[in-house]
Amino acid sequence: MPKHYRPPGKKKEGNAARYITRSQTLKHLQVNTRLFRKLCIYKGIFPREPKKKFRGNHQTYYHLKDVAFIRHDPILEELRAKSTYTKKVIKAKAKKNKELADILLKRQPEIKLDRLVLERYPHFVDALRDLDDPLTLVHLFAALPASDRLRIEVKRVHNCRKLSHEWQAYIARTHKLRKVFISVKGIYYQAEVEGQKITWLTPHGMQQVLPDDDVVYDVLLTFLEFYETLLAFVNFKLYHSINVKYPPILDPRLEASAAELYALSRYFDANSRPSEQVEATQSEEAELRLAQLQHQLPSNEPGALMQLVKGAGDENEEDEDTKECKELFKNMKFFLSREVPRESLLFVIPAFGGIVSWEGEGAPFSEADQSITYQIVDRPTQGHVYLSREYVQPQWVYDCVNTRIILPTEAYMVGRVPPPHLSPFVDNEAEGYVPDYAETIKRLKAAAENEILPMPGVGKEDLDDPQNLLAEGYITRAEAIEAAERKQKMMTLEKQYHDELKMELQGMQYSSSASDLDKQKSDEYMESREESLPDMPQISNDAADMSKLLMSRKKRGLYEAMKKGQERKKAHVDLLKERKKKIESAQKSSKKN
Amino acid sequence: MRAGKKVSAEVSSPKKKEKKNKNKQENEEKENEMANKTQLKKVQSDKQKQSSVKKHDEEGQKLQRGKERRKEEDLDNESESGSDSDESDYQDFSEDISGDYESLGQSDDGESESEGGQSKSSGDEVHGDNDDEDNVDDHHREDQSDGSEDHQGVEESDSSEDEVAPRNTIGDVPLEWYKDEKHIGYDISGKKINKKERQDKLASFLANVDDSKNWRKIYDEYNDEEVELTKEETRLIRRLLKGKAPHGDFDPYADYVDWFKYDDALHPLSNAPEPKRRFIPSKWESKKVVQYVRAIRKGLIKFDEPKEEKPQFYLLWGDDSSAAEKANRLAYIPAPKSKLPGHEESYNPSLEYIPTQEELNSYQLMYDEDRPKFIPKRFTSFRSIPAYENGVKESFERCMDLYLCPRVRKKRVNIDPETLKPKLPSRKDLKPYPTTCYLEYKGHKGAVMSISTEASGQWIASGSSDGTVRIWEVESGRCLKVWEIGEAVQSVVWNPSPELPVLAVAAGLDVLILNTGFGSEEEQKRVKELLRLEIPTAPDGIDNMASIVSWLQDERLEGIRLRHFKNVSSVEWHRRGDYLSTVMPAGESRAIIMHQLSKKLSHRIPFKLHGLPVSSVFHPTRSVFFISTKKNIRVYDLLKQKLIKKLETGLKEVSSIAIHPAGDNVIVGSREGKLCWFDMDLSSKPYRVLKCHPKDITNVAFHRSYPLFASCSDDCTAYVFHGMVYSDLNQNPLIVPLEILRGHTSSNGRGVLDCKFHPRQPWLFTAGADSVIRLFCH
Repeated sequence: MPKHYRPPGKKKEGNAARYITRSQTLKHLQVNTRLFRKLCIYKGIFPREPKKKFRGNHQTYYHLKDVAFIRHDPILEELRAKSTYTKKVIKAKAKKNKELADILLKRQPEIKLDRLVLERYPHFVDALRDLDDPLTLVHLFAALPASDRLRIEVKRVHNCRKLSHEWQAYIARTHKLRKVFISVKGIYYQAEVEGQKITWLTPHGMQQVLPDDDVVYDVLLTFLEFYETLLAFVNFKLYHSINVKYPPILDPRLEASAAELYALSRYFDANSRPSEQVEATQSEEAELRLAQLQHQLPSNEPGALMQLVKGAGDENEEDEDTKECKELFKNMKFFLSREVPRESLLFVIPAFGGIVSWEGEGAPFSEADQSITYQIVDRPTQGHVYLSREYVQPQWVYDCVNTRIILPTEAYMVGRVPPPHLSPFVDNEAEGYVPDYAETIKRLKAAAENEILPMPGVGKEDLDDPQNLLAEGYITRAEAIEAAERKQKMMTLEKQYHDELKMELQGMQYSSSASDLDKQKSDEYMESREESLPDMPQISNDAADMSKLLMSRKKRGLYEAMKKGQERKKAHVDLLKERKKKIESAQKSSKKN
Repeated sequence: MRAGKKVSAEVSSPKKKEKKNKNKQENEEKENEMANKTQLKKVQSDKQKQSSVKKHDEEGQKLQRGKERRKEEDLDNESESGSDSDESDYQDFSEDISGDYESLGQSDDGESESEGGQSKSSGDEVHGDNDDEDNVDDHHREDQSDGSEDHQGVEESDSSEDEVAPRNTIGDVPLEWYKDEKHIGYDISGKKINKKERQDKLASFLANVDDSKNWRKIYDEYNDEEVELTKEETRLIRRLLKGKAPHGDFDPYADYVDWFKYDDALHPLSNAPEPKRRFIPSKWESKKVVQYVRAIRKGLIKFDEPKEEKPQFYLLWGDDSSAAEKANRLAYIPAPKSKLPGHEESYNPSLEYIPTQEELNSYQLMYDEDRPKFIPKRFTSFRSIPAYENGVKESFERCMDLYLCPRVRKKRVNIDPETLKPKLPSRKDLKPYPTTCYLEYKGHKGAVMSISTEASGQWIASGSSDGTVRIWEVESGRCLKVWEIGEAVQSVVWNPSPELPVLAVAAGLDVLILNTGFGSEEEQKRVKELLRLEIPTAPDGIDNMASIVSWLQDERLEGIRLRHFKNVSSVEWHRRGDYLSTVMPAGESRAIIMHQLSKKLSHRIPFKLHGLPVSSVFHPTRSVFFISTKKNIRVYDLLKQKLIKKLETGLKEVSSIAIHPAGDNVIVGSREGKLCWFDMDLSSKPYRVLKCHPKDITNVAFHRSYPLFASCSDDCTAYVFHGMVYSDLNQNPLIVPLEILRGHTSSNGRGVLDCKFHPRQPWLFTAGADSVIRLFCH
């Protein structure tokens, strides 16, 4: 609203002037709900919460600037034009004018979203930050069946598949994958690209259910349209960064046999040579520029130059994490049996430096290859067994990836129930409950790092400095505290011993002085104990109550809410502990029987 | 048709004649009738030529013989009918005469009936006559049809259709109108045509079987007769059904015959010479062509060739630094990322994450909102994981959240809740304060309602609900004196002045002023003098105080008894010890009374009371009086006799009030367990409200010299606070909770009933409902 004209009854300032409700917005933009929804999704406009909801709590409020942002965008006109155009087509079809309808369909106005992508994400990092939802939705649609009724076109499903494979290929190629988690809902992957942690979910490779009620597919498809564009541009940028042409041209034979990921990796390999050349030219350029800079820079600033060189050097180097990931499955050859989820493993194993093949057409090597070290099997029994390789269940790969060590395979052998699969996204200690298997893994990890195998419960006495150990990640915090206490005790005892020795040396009467000292000490101790003794919990409660008394009401509310949250968390942990106890006791009794 | 009309006119004319001259002329009529008949015969024969002729077309000679026979019969009939008609006419006539000019309608009816009969008979005659003629015609016609069926049949049928008029004359009216009648309408002569008897089904079936031609018969509803269709007619109908022209020989696409011929004409139609433009190419067309060609060359017109494939994707974020220009929009708030899955969402979680059967059952009993959204499940191998049924739904919900949820940047408080607690000065620095129970004073049988310390701090007095007032030695816990009042004691107060060791005790309606017997002899003497009433009753007519309070000498207890008109709840001494105020909550406008001991006088306070009074207190240094009602506290100046201040507590029910020894701060305890600290210089609203007790606060107290105050409550606890008031006006009072004192037990739902500080030491006395008084020392 321009400032010079204010209609009667319209507020000049404050929330009422800055926000309008949803229905008002619709009227203002002269759009219907569907078009508005589309605009909001494309433009990334969301309702905002005014401090004072002048039209009541049940309304949704949009900021006037957001609305203006929609109104001034050409996309609004484009969408309107498109809707009128579709009306023309419908009319032609209704009049059985097939010719005209065909012509019209051919000349349909295209709506391009690239401008909007750039507008919403002016920097590449912004796009990466918001990539979680696009990836999840694209992966979901890649697994959905096409349906005419719900207007899920085959073309789009294929596009989604293509985009997801391109993304996965990049991640695997650059070894950016960090964590994988198989959940009931699907497989979660977490990658780290340009410092952004990107987590996405891929559904299990089953026939997906398309629920009819509760889901409006229009919304999903509109989101998907934007996400497809976004992901394509992101892929382009990423491929560009490793000097690979985008969109990739794939081997049609491999594509047909649904091994697109492998096809993509082949494509990368094929393209790697020119990229090296480019790199070489780039480095030459860099040197040239450096030389120029050297001329320009005054000679008394060698530090700056050094930094420049350093920076150039750093760019080429991969960070520690990537290196670690790259070498996890190095020199290992995997073979996937027919029944294992091929897509996921074909993605994960190369991402961690392994070589993988599968049973089927276009596989790089067959099952009979003697150099295979691990065969991944997910069936109750294995018929023919090669002695040169180990047979493991797929979970082993994922657990290895999450722990970043090669786990012993005994627990994951064919036909066994594998150990619990733990989420890599949980900070066990912050959560307050550490599952058994996490402890085992931690010990194994420590062992792998130090090449020693301390048994649990043995050799703790040797651990001198808890701080050091903690730094090394040997033991948990609780254990550290225990150790510290133990150490303190030892120190006091030692000190006492030294004192006594000293006194003896000085020739003082040992018994009296020492006992006196002891008495004093014990008295002090007793006093302090006594002070704190009567009804310890009561006193601590009292103290808590009393400090709560003087809090302001707002703070008290916050405090109580936080306390409640903590208690809930604790109750959850307690429940887990209780269940565990029960399970253990049941196991014991069953063993006895 | 015309002939018919004529006939009818002729027919009607004799009727009129009949009506006019009804005498006789039967003969004439007869003649008329006969003429009519002959005319009719002719007409009918003309009309029915076609139908009847066609009917009898195919019949052979056998029929002809029959016809001859029928002719004879018809002739007989004719003679008979003629006689019949004569008779009927005669009858009519006689009736007319006898009826003496009956109504027209009736006579008409009769006539028409008779005429109907006539017509019938005449019809028959006609038929017979017709047959003769038909036969002749038939032969004649057959010849014709044989000869030229193609050409003349058409014309004939057309003409015949025009000629043949329906037997019925009702016109274009719905036939339903005649459904219930016996006749179907009227013939040309206006006679009723009676309905024929319809063939029943059996008969019609039989007829069908017998006669192979029966299917050609059509029932003409309008004329109530069966018509047999000829071959030609059926053919015609068939053609019509097919949508062709009705006659087979009609050519719908005949060549156009130009009727105008000018071949032989002398002059052409237009004499103009052929124009030139007929011989040269069109300029307009060439222009248009050139236009198109140019447009095509320029690329304005595009053919439907496949569009040039532009690279769909390009380096969108080519140079990141250039894209830094700010879009003119509000700050974008990125949507929160969805929660990362925990251990319980694993396909193979540890066993302890899986709820037991009982827990699963208990989920069923929960409300929908409380029920956990995700129930962990365990699958023993990767291959056994099914598709997740809520996958699409969950991503849809996420999408809805993304575009419909209002986004707000909220600061997430990720701090230890303990840091929220205010930083209090260490309690050790604020010592001394009462912490532990040092002594218990036992002896009362009932709940100790009130206690009071002597000004020197050597003695305490206590009043109990068992009707006794006791005096204890503080340090030893010895009970020194006991008074049996006889009624539950509400309040006990020592006189604040050390020279006047007197106790004021409120019990029931009375306030007793008792001599404790302490102090030197001189003091005792003065006290005794003071407590002796010179005049038994002080008559005071002006104030009418006698009805409210009466001063009595109590010989047994050696004191003064002030009898009030309502129960007294509390007593309070003035700091000099001469005045005392009593509060009777039920006393309405006379609820607070002030007594002067030296003059043995009572006054009503000169202020209007607002609300139910709870207690009244004197200011410790100035002549200011506090009256606390249930909601508010009013501060009055006694000298100027006016309201100074009104303190709004915001509490529901005030139970007690205490005043800081400096006089500018007030604490108020309430029945909802809240303690308000008022800084009267600051505002009339509480400076701080402490919600410390879960139950009613029964009493609050300030220490006289130490910066301490305490509250006691029915939850059997007493709180001790540090309450420092600074002389610097810029500094607000410092309040620090110090200690919670426990030890009393609850009885009858009441806990600690009173608390008082020792006047010199930082000690606190508490009086419990468990009939014990406790002393808490530092």
